[in-house]
Amino acid sequence: MNALVRHNVQVTGQGDRAIMFAHGFGCDQTMWQPVARNFEADFKVVLFDYVGHGRSDFSAYSPERYSSLDGYAADVVEIGEALGLREAVFVGHSVSAMIGALASRRAPEMFSDLVMVGPSPRYVDDEDYRGGFSRAQIDELLEFLADNHLGWSAAMAPVIMGNADRPELGARLENSFCSTDPEIARDFARVTFLSDNRGDLDSIPARTLILQCSEDIIAPLEVGQYVHSRLPRSEFRQLSATGHCPNLSAPEEVTAAIREFV
Amino acid sequence: MSSAPPSEDLEDLYETAPCGYVSLSPDGRIVKANRTIAAWLAWAPDDLVGKRVHDILGFGGQIAFETHLAPLLRMQGHVHEIALDLLKADGEKIPTIANAAEKRDAEGRHLFTRLTLFKAVDRRTYERSLVEARARAEAEAEAQREAAVLREQFLAVLGHDIRNPLAALDAGVRLLGKEALSDSGRTIVREMAGSIERASALVDNLLDLARGRLGGGLPVGRDADAPLTPVIEQVVAEVRRIDPDRQVEARIAVEEPVYCDRGRIAQLATNLLSNALTHGAADVPIRLEAVTEGSDFILSVSNGGAPIPDDVRERLFQPFFRGATRASRNGLGLGLYIASEIAKAHGGTLDVRSTAEETRFTFRMDKRPPDAA
Repeated sequence: MNALVRHNVQVTGQGDRAIMFAHGFGCDQTMWQPVARNFEADFKVVLFDYVGHGRSDFSAYSPERYSSLDGYAADVVEIGEALGLREAVFVGHSVSAMIGALASRRAPEMFSDLVMVGPSPRYVDDEDYRGGFSRAQIDELLEFLADNHLGWSAAMAPVIMGNADRPELGARLENSFCSTDPEIARDFARVTFLSDNRGDLDSIPARTLILQCSEDIIAPLEVGQYVHSRLPRSEFRQLSATGHCPNLSAPEEVTAAIREFV
Repeated sequence: MSSAPPSEDLEDLYETAPCGYVSLSPDGRIVKANRTIAAWLAWAPDDLVGKRVHDILGFGGQIAFETHLAPLLRMQGHVHEIALDLLKADGEKIPTIANAAEKRDAEGRHLFTRLTLFKAVDRRTYERSLVEARARAEAEAEAQREAAVLREQFLAVLGHDIRNPLAALDAGVRLLGKEALSDSGRTIVREMAGSIERASALVDNLLDLARGRLGGGLPVGRDADAPLTPVIEQVVAEVRRIDPDRQVEARIAVEEPVYCDRGRIAQLATNLLSNALTHGAADVPIRLEAVTEGSDFILSVSNGGAPIPDDVRERLFQPFFRGATRASRNGLGLGLYIASEIAKAHGGTLDVRSTAEETRFTFRMDKRPPDAA
């Protein structure tokens, strides 16, 4: 199937250079909108959903293909090929930071610049390395996802009651925010939080900006600094935004940082 | 003198409501919490203020808060019915169900995130057992599916392996038939030939079932290069030879070429005839008609006897379906299923009409090549 349809790819804006925004674990392309819209005046803006998220083609999901981040990176390259991207900017939130790194290594001419928002090459602690997570905590997270099998569908379909006279609004909302198939969410959580891409960092050719949030329990400061120390061509920038999703909590600050970099 | 009804004390309602209230600053710190939740968590209410929300959540909840709740709250303003484990001061977990909403000012600026939490020990236990039961059911269904595939593969191999000795038996019986035999010898050889014929038909159906189930439908090779009439005549002759006591009438008027797989049409006719032999009344003749009519080729087989009940008729074309009559003579219950699959593979239909007068199966297909139709 056409990669543009499979990933619900949305292209907006005018500009010769393309900037592609990739969502992280737990959400879909909607989470980039507050930032992405600020680039439409002078960039070709590309938004997409990973398979199993948002309005992607859920039937294209295969546990084998997506058993590692490489499968996701291959999808990014396929989208880039379908759009004929060259020397584009890839902005990846959370786990997408590493997916973007892998994609830029697969297709160096496609992505010349990377922006990593809250990156982590490995979440679980390992000998001297501090990722911030223990294996038991990962299991607790998977348990949480299983517990919320029923709960998430309710969260994903925001109450329509208030809009009984506008059912189309309900239908739109139902599909637009962070909808994820629960099984796929569990797989993605496992692949994300058990990934180890520390060995890949040395060979990433692209210029990279690392945006580090304050008080981010998912990608703590020292992990961001580790990524900076291992990436050959990287800049490190500390944001004052707190939490793991500055693209939502502080879109202006994130926009300004990306603008300065590109 | 009557006293005024007591008025509700809103401060007290907040503090001692039968649910927990927590308000968070936009950066995720607790700015206010009620006494109910402080008591659940075994903190003094004042000690809760200033803590990060992560400090009162289990680890799974912390991650989910960052990856799911916070983004959803920013985007849609509220999140309902989330299963969250709270963490007591001593590390013990309290299962809750939570609703959350953002309080924003007139300009849409995020002021607080408000959480309302309900203890849900029993409900969460119940939900967890539902999730586990579902996982078990899925595992069992998967195991059954694998077993079914294995069974069909076994059928395919078995059917294939029985074919060879049957072919040898058939050749032997044919040779014997050419020898000089006594009258009873000839009768025995004829009956043996009939038995081999029936066994071969069963094996063919079995193999077709396995093939059809294991991969994309029955294989048919269609053309209109040879006449169909002799093929059908041959089928009728064989049925008469196997069962000389039953009356089988045939009217064959195939005037024009029929674009079909003649071997498969013969198999369809054989299956319909043996179904009529098994289920039809012995004293009513079986009638086969094969005609071309307009652009169609129509083949029908009728028999007498009791009509087919409605509930049976619905399942007639399912594999391994065997009617209620005399199981020993019924075979595997594949004949009508295979016949309907052959009909489908020819883009045709196989229908049944059953009344007190007769039961009639009718196969109808377009006799022209598909692109000419």
